[in-house]
Amino acid sequence: MGLIENLKSYSEGVQISDEKKKVFTSFMSKGFPTTKDEEWKYTSLKKIVTKEYTIENTGEIIDSSTVIKYSLGFENRIIFSDGKLIGSPNIKGVSINGFSNFESNTTDSVLQLNKALAQNGFTITVDKNTVLESPIEILFFTNTENNFSQYRNLISVGDNAEVKFVERIQTLNDSTSMVNNFTQIHCAKNTKVEYNKIQNNTPGSRLIDTVNVYQEQDSTCDINTLIFGGSFTRNNLNFEQNGSNCESNMNGVSILNDNQLADNHTFVDHKSAHCRSNEMYKGVYLGNSKGVFNGKIMVRPDAQKIDAFQSNNNLLLSDNSTIDSKPQLEIYADDVKCSHGCTIGQLDEKALFYMRSRGIGIEEAKAVLTYAFASEAIENISVEEVKLLAQKLLAQKLNVDLDFSL
Amino acid sequence: MLQIKNLKAGIEDNQILKGINLEVKAGEIHAIMGPNGSGKSTLSAVIAGNEDYEVEGGNINFNGKNLLELDPEERANNGVFLSFQYPVEIPGISVSNFIKTSITEKRKAQGLDPIPTKDLLKMMREKMELLSIKQGYLSRNMNEGFSGGEKKRNEIFQMAMLDPKLAILDETDSGLDIDALRIVANGVNKLRSADNATIIITHYQRLLDYIVPDFVHVLYNGRIVKSGGAELAHELEEKGYDWVTNEEDKKWA
Ligand SMILES: Nc1ncnc2c1ncn2[C@@H]1O[C@H](COP(=O)(O)OP(=O)(O)O)[C@@H](O)[C@H]1O
Ligand SMILES: [Mg+2]
Repeated sequence: MGLIENLKSYSEGVQISDEKKKVFTSFMSKGFPTTKDEEWKYTSLKKIVTKEYTIENTGEIIDSSTVIKYSLGFENRIIFSDGKLIGSPNIKGVSINGFSNFESNTTDSVLQLNKALAQNGFTITVDKNTVLESPIEILFFTNTENNFSQYRNLISVGDNAEVKFVERIQTLNDSTSMVNNFTQIHCAKNTKVEYNKIQNNTPGSRLIDTVNVYQEQDSTCDINTLIFGGSFTRNNLNFEQNGSNCESNMNGVSILNDNQLADNHTFVDHKSAHCRSNEMYKGVYLGNSKGVFNGKIMVRPDAQKIDAFQSNNNLLLSDNSTIDSKPQLEIYADDVKCSHGCTIGQLDEKALFYMRSRGIGIEEAKAVLTYAFASEAIENISVEEVKLLAQKLLAQKLNVDLDFSL
Repeated sequence: MLQIKNLKAGIEDNQILKGINLEVKAGEIHAIMGPNGSGKSTLSAVIAGNEDYEVEGGNINFNGKNLLELDPEERANNGVFLSFQYPVEIPGISVSNFIKTSITEKRKAQGLDPIPTKDLLKMMREKMELLSIKQGYLSRNMNEGFSGGEKKRNEIFQMAMLDPKLAILDETDSGLDIDALRIVANGVNKLRSADNATIIITHYQRLLDYIVPDFVHVLYNGRIVKSGGAELAHELEEKGYDWVTNEEDKKWA
């Protein structure tokens, strides 16, 4: 038994279209990816998928104190309980609905599974020229013990619109739950989109999260990924630039301890000229934690004048922590500025002495320097509440006492 | 307050300090001068506890404690402060949080609770005013993108906040224009008391026009080769270091 069996019996009891059946059959023939797959070489799903999960779910009402506890307090909130949409706001210029069927790229078997069996998620359409000041907050709660849930979300942002999102996936019990979340974002001309992912789930939680972004000309899309919690996290961010003057920005922080694993896979497909991409991922690894970074940048033959910047900097702060970092550059155009750097290091000795000479004890000095190292990747977050939460979680996890009102 | 006896220290096989003797009493200001490469920064680093340097002999006594047995943070919390010749940039940590952390750690060492944020801010404002530091500076990242002068002023600001017993100012005047120099000197003078002492390391006489030392020492080739009163600085300015170093070179030739 295991997740595959759970899924098989679940699929027999639900009505799905012939097309989805076909996709599911294809998934079943491949199964979950293994470490033999190049894209999953350093991240094994084996232990995770051999567990038993509950797939049917109740969609219980979440009491408001729970919502308040995990919300950052924005007025526009979309709330899911075990997959069921239980709350959605009315916003002028924005239509928000539940799950819808849409086409997507399904090369990966995890995405095939999502396409075949996901029946929950949101569909957001932002009308052109709509500029939202306050972010849309999305809260996915898991209530049922040992739940496996899938979300399939679509965001379409019309010309000249500007919108920000804050997403949080939260398990409300201490069982081992798993989420397979897929979000597809279409950024039309001259749009600005910022998507913040707060990944601070319970120690038993597993997550596979994929975002595919399709950008048209003059659009800017930022995705910030903040990984503090969860036992297993795999993020796939894929950007496709289909027009000139697009900008794709990714910032990520992982602060892991115990046996946590976090894998960030990014892919920027520069298909058009005069575009930019920036990615900055910072990782801090304590205990037996494990980090994986794989950043692929593809510059197609016609995509001249591309500026692509990628960095992945890591601190290994224990003997048993590991990081596998792999930049992958495929550049087929000649007028391209592309830089990438990966560092695995210790703390700066000069800075450490400087702090100690100010009376700061060595452990505290190390923690503060680690905080400083990681915080660089959250500086670009434009939603103040998210930035503040990230700073607090960072300080908490590193056990430093900093005052963010200062 | 501070007694240094026959201090020898170096890095790897290279002995930099070759037997330093120095006594500093509470209320005094000492200036240590000397050409580049004499060992002035090394001396200050050894006093502050920089572990890059190995102490090969001698001892340092600070208010009855053997300083060489203490960690850098313990020395600081006992009242030693070093204004760095090259202050370190720490991206990602604001000036205010840096200072808050050091004040909290100092109080912790004294068995005191953290100071309330409100009081801390008030204290910071006072000291900023003393040093003509502009608003907005507190939220900047520690020394990141600071000009040379801003970095030095930030050192003195920290000194003002930490209120040390012994302050060592290593080339604090370099990088300062004349107005900034005056402000910093004025700050140092205001912070002076009968209970604290200052060692000013410089190779120009300029700063000593504003902060008048009680003693001037010339450090050359790892030794203090001449000591005198404030007038020695003027003499050096007039005659140049050759006046002392030639004699010294002859002695060791
Ligand atoms: N960290 C170091 N590594 C190697 N040599 C050093 C180091 N620090 C100082 N020195 C050497 O020791 C001597 C004294 O340097 P320093 O103390 O900086 O002199 P000063 O401050 O008087 O200019 C110089 O020759 C310098 O090159
Ligand atoms: Mg020096």
